[in-house]
Amino acid sequence: MSEATLSNKTLTTRIALLGNPNVGKSTIFNYLTGLNQKIGNYPGVTVDKKSGSVQINGETFEILDLPGTYSLFPNSEDEIIAHRVLNQTKLEAKPDYVLMVIDSSQLSRGLFLATQLMDLGVNLALILNMADLAEKRNIEIKTFELFKSIGVPILSTDARNQKGLEEVKNLISQRNFRKAPGFIDIQQVIPSEMLNQVLEKFELENHYQAYQMIRFGSKDKAIPASDRAWLENLIQTSNFDLEEAQLEETKIRYRKITELVTKALFKKSGSKPSSNLDQVFLHPVFGYVIFVAILLLIFQTIFSWAAYPMDFIDGLFANISASIGTMLPDGPLTRLLAEGLIPGIGGVVIFIPQIAILFGFLAILEDTGYMSRVVFLMDRWMRPFGLHGKSIVPLVSGVACAIPGVMAARNISNWKEKMITILVTPLMSCSARLPVYIILIGLTVPDEVVLGFINLQALALLSLYLLGIFGVLGTALLLKFILKTTEKSFLLSELPPYRIPRWSDVGITMFEKSKTFVFEAGKVILAISIILWVLASYGPPSRMDQIRIEGQARLESVTDETQITEIEAEITAQLLENSYIGIMGRAIEPLIKPLGYDWKIGIALITSFAAREVFIATMATIYSIGGDLENDLTIREKLDQQINSNTGEKTFNRASSFSLMVFYVFAMQCMSTLAIVKRETKSWKWPLIQTAYMTILAYVMALITYQIFS
Amino acid sequence: MPKGEFRPMTADSLPLNKSGKIVEILSSPLKINLLELGFLPGIQISLRYQAPSGGPMAFLMEETLLALRKSEAALIRVELI
Repeated sequence: MSEATLSNKTLTTRIALLGNPNVGKSTIFNYLTGLNQKIGNYPGVTVDKKSGSVQINGETFEILDLPGTYSLFPNSEDEIIAHRVLNQTKLEAKPDYVLMVIDSSQLSRGLFLATQLMDLGVNLALILNMADLAEKRNIEIKTFELFKSIGVPILSTDARNQKGLEEVKNLISQRNFRKAPGFIDIQQVIPSEMLNQVLEKFELENHYQAYQMIRFGSKDKAIPASDRAWLENLIQTSNFDLEEAQLEETKIRYRKITELVTKALFKKSGSKPSSNLDQVFLHPVFGYVIFVAILLLIFQTIFSWAAYPMDFIDGLFANISASIGTMLPDGPLTRLLAEGLIPGIGGVVIFIPQIAILFGFLAILEDTGYMSRVVFLMDRWMRPFGLHGKSIVPLVSGVACAIPGVMAARNISNWKEKMITILVTPLMSCSARLPVYIILIGLTVPDEVVLGFINLQALALLSLYLLGIFGVLGTALLLKFILKTTEKSFLLSELPPYRIPRWSDVGITMFEKSKTFVFEAGKVILAISIILWVLASYGPPSRMDQIRIEGQARLESVTDETQITEIEAEITAQLLENSYIGIMGRAIEPLIKPLGYDWKIGIALITSFAAREVFIATMATIYSIGGDLENDLTIREKLDQQINSNTGEKTFNRASSFSLMVFYVFAMQCMSTLAIVKRETKSWKWPLIQTAYMTILAYVMALITYQIFS
Repeated sequence: MPKGEFRPMTADSLPLNKSGKIVEILSSPLKINLLELGFLPGIQISLRYQAPSGGPMAFLMEETLLALRKSEAALIRVELI
């Protein structure tokens, strides 16, 4: 690193933004940083590090957005981050200043965290946000009174309506933060001797830091094992009840806060009644009806809106590939570019519309306050399966696409519930499975109506979706007993008042989520698609060359246009059959024979690992259907004629088609999901476990299906 | 009921739209979570909404609506007002 960049780095002032959940912290973060946001990692946890930069009067400040928390007592991974960033000087560069956002209408709750920060001895300033809400509730805060008592700068804002935000910038630029005197004396609850020992050992600044280290340090995996053991030993030998101390601290702190709030807060009588929307939205019957209606609306929109940009992207990348193929001289590099790289990038970009639209809706639901009502309604039905009320969002998103679903699982704070949700979400039948289902159902299920109104094909399709849902619930139930955690599961959340969504925040969410997907998961997707392309385009040179030479000879012998097309399609099929992927397809034939498949389907199973819909394109290539993929009928007729060389029966008879559909219900078959799971869990372990279990599940279920129907 | 007497009960058995004054939070690993949210002795809460089939309950505490699981509400001892 050059000297210039080094000094630059130390000069940038770092400000941590902290607050309770639902206090408008992200609106302030978005206001300050706009699109200058970046996502990074904290060591050892799956929580993202969200930061951004802001230029004020020509000076750059780095803003670190910490996850929302009610206290510095870490109950979840989210809260561990706040705890760790503010406590540890060695692991995370400690922020220079802390800007804490408080909901003006919930002063006591906000002050609980604020006074903990004061005790930690951080350079602090407070923002009393949501001034409009406080006013609506007839709450008046005597800011000066509050300032006199706690001694840190205080600002009043209404971020939703853009009020007071300029002052926030001024405060930052003037570095108007103060290290407040301690609020409570922690020596009231913990023996001084113990505090001093820890203070010296870890070179801490004050007793409250020492207390935090004693209370939580031994459980924080980011601390060296020897230090953790030392702390453990200290706690054991002192024989001191730390949990009791923590409760005592909470009581003392709240007692002082109540005194303070009585002085600083004036509540006029006759507060306006709060909205009665919850009478409907939380209604035991209508609540669910409305939820289902909203879901239907969202899906309707995703399917109808996303189709246009997706078709456009599809066409665009096909055109780029084609023009590169014709413009550049033919050769391995051009083919890699035109057939491997460009379609690979296209395969990443194609997901953007679905991700952006879905996250747009989720942001609206979150911002209006409705999402927490959904959690309230669904928690009871999710819990028996080891899931949380919040798991409903990823699972339902999974019907459109597992990628945004897995990304949405981030909001679940309990590690175990989050992992179960991520692991089972890809079992929901996503939109990419639909083309495979439709072709195979069209092939084997008669288009007949039974019992007067039930269409058999529709019934088959519904069964596949239901099968996916049973897969989700069954697997979740199993994982509930396998995965272990010491974190306790809890709901305990606020149902914030209903509000109009802030469109700029919705826009930023859509942009940030798409960006995260493209840049974080895109790398993996691109790498896998290039590998798959190489395997599908190359084979043992002797065999491949022979096919090409023979093919050339045949082509020269005919002149008829249609014959040429036919022969070309046959050559393509032969090349694929003899490529490395073709050889792999043949190699797995003994394995997939019991499922009713031949080696040709084997090839399609391997290629469609890139994405499920590739199955159809591969089938078209293998059976040399040629150009017109859009026409379902051609491919269906072709498939219908195929004879399985092992059994002498139709390749796609009822048993093998059912078996194949069931295989696609359960199999992972999507490298993009794999990549996003890797990204969200921050390790290769979970995506690999997930691929393994889903493949085994798919195999067993397909085997059972084949045995039943054959 | 004579003045000064109350039936000891926990918040999960509070009737809908009835208020209770918090007496204490029972011991549990979740006690600290309840306390930090402001469920403190002396504070008044009222049950506003109840999800069906033993689902979560929503209590109004001062101006905020808070959702708790039934098992979490069972940790809050209240006296009916």
